[in-house]
Amino acid sequence: MIRTVLADDEVLARQKVRQLLREIRDVDIVGECGTARETIDLVRLTHPDLLFLDICMPDMDGFDAVSALSSSPGGKLPHIVFVTANDKWAVRAFECHALDYLLKPFTAERLQEAVQRARDRLVSNKHQDSSTVSNPEGERYTTRMVFKSRGRILFLSVDDIRWIEAEENYVRLHTSAQSHLLRETIGRLETRLDPQSFLRVHRSSIVNLHYVKEVKNEANGDAIVVLTGGENISMSRSYRSRIQKLMTVS
Amino acid sequence: MRKGSQSEPVFMKPAIFITSSVLVGLLFAFQEWLSIHHMGYRLPSLIFFESWGYQFLVWGSLCWLLWHFFSLQIQRASILRIIFVFLPLSVAISLAQQMLFVFIFRNLPLNHSEPSYWRRLSIYVYAELLDNMLIFWCAFGLFRGVGYYQRFREHENAKAELEVQLANAQLAALRMQLNPHFLFNTMNGISSLMRSDIEAADTMLEQLSCLLRLSLERGDSQLITLREEIEFVELYLAMQGHRYSGRVKQSVRVDPELYDSLIPSMLLQPIVENAYVHGLSRTESAGTLILEVQRRGNQMRVTVMNSGIGLNPTSEGDAHGHGFGLRNIKSRLKLHYGDDSRFEIAQVDPRHVRVEVEIPLQYSPESTKPITRFGTR
Repeated sequence: MIRTVLADDEVLARQKVRQLLREIRDVDIVGECGTARETIDLVRLTHPDLLFLDICMPDMDGFDAVSALSSSPGGKLPHIVFVTANDKWAVRAFECHALDYLLKPFTAERLQEAVQRARDRLVSNKHQDSSTVSNPEGERYTTRMVFKSRGRILFLSVDDIRWIEAEENYVRLHTSAQSHLLRETIGRLETRLDPQSFLRVHRSSIVNLHYVKEVKNEANGDAIVVLTGGENISMSRSYRSRIQKLMTVS
Repeated sequence: MRKGSQSEPVFMKPAIFITSSVLVGLLFAFQEWLSIHHMGYRLPSLIFFESWGYQFLVWGSLCWLLWHFFSLQIQRASILRIIFVFLPLSVAISLAQQMLFVFIFRNLPLNHSEPSYWRRLSIYVYAELLDNMLIFWCAFGLFRGVGYYQRFREHENAKAELEVQLANAQLAALRMQLNPHFLFNTMNGISSLMRSDIEAADTMLEQLSCLLRLSLERGDSQLITLREEIEFVELYLAMQGHRYSGRVKQSVRVDPELYDSLIPSMLLQPIVENAYVHGLSRTESAGTLILEVQRRGNQMRVTVMNSGIGLNPTSEGDAHGHGFGLRNIKSRLKLHYGDDSRFEIAQVDPRHVRVEVEIPLQYSPESTKPITRFGTR
């Protein structure tokens, strides 16, 4: 069960989250609160796995509550999903390792996404797979990113990216449900991504190897990468040796 | 922009300009009269006022003529033109002024009795040519200054006008959300969905919020990147897609090279709205809407094509005020780009209408990077 606390000073806002969460069988709401102080006390008392936290609350803001909680001794911080009507704190939330950022009003589907993310995280924490890898500059490879797409704030885990397509100075990230256009060059993005998972197959495309079903050879020496969802991504000859190397290794 | 008569300063009206010139002359006369008087000379007072008055009357008239016929040339003259055209002209005009003055005013010099015209002229030219040229260059400087001032004012006015237009566009965008065609129908849609499909009602409410959030974020920026404008239109299209529940096939094709080019904010949405309100909403059958942005040389071309009913020449639309959105677009294009933009609405066949807009390609000097951050767990 995902033990969950709801913190929002508006009763109706809490009610909406509560009603939607009740339909999810593995979520257990262990408490609700309307101020930051109550939140701090309740979290210290109940040690929840997940906290839905409003940012604007009457006594302190949500970030104050988070920093108070993280400085308290022995307390394990729950995974935090910020729920707010304003998008201006998204980067700050991302930087304090929030799990997600829901903009009010949100849909049931968007809330379920956030819960799924918590579920995934709780599972991976149990397995303790903290084998984070670094690129040659010593920075760790990106595992998550925040951006804005069509008026929504998205905290995306790179594992959800199926493939990436270059569009001049932009890249289009394809996930299973939709695609997002970001202002970033494919070359720069490539260096941030772990080459164990992400492979450049063309001047303008990168694929996530976890979603590759097969590689089909073409008569002219080029190849086509087929993803599990059925997408065909053409692969140019110059990039082909790289995938062959990887495939012989595995 | 050509100098319009409404922007001409009031002191350049001939009566006012020449009268002020004479008044300046009379002031000089008064000063000279005082100093001569103070030194103990006794001369008829009238002669000072007459000579200075005539002198500046002639100068005032000449300068006004110069302004009237050559103000643009004076204001736009390059340094080379000033040296090779206006310097010789200043000598010629100073000479002409003296010829006129000597011709009109015969009483000077005082102690020569009835000298010939040429003799008197030569006395004057030797005594006063440089002074006269100085007067010419003062007028020249004044006219150029007036030109700078006028251009500054025109610039300010155009800016103010653009701001008003943008405010109107924002109002119109708000009206889009507040008019019966959009907000109430959307709300009615949500209200109806609340009974049958709560999820869909939720989605529509969220999209409406995103749309409002984006349009508030725009703030008062005049030009935004095509990417931002397309994002706004895509949201609008998604909402319309819900309202028409899949009856309209939408397609958006943008040349990725143009994502960062600039476009007046809220330019595309009214065109797309127009396609729905006056085309797609008027047929029962399935429809299509195609939005395309391509590059044409140094221009960006936006094409919006929709099926539905064609353009009706005796359209009752104007009575409903539907022309407002498109009219507003035309006037904003004119203000931003002058004659470098094109707007065209045409019926390609009885069931398809196409709107084409072309604007010059511009890129913002610094790319506004939206919030994107990368992190590790």
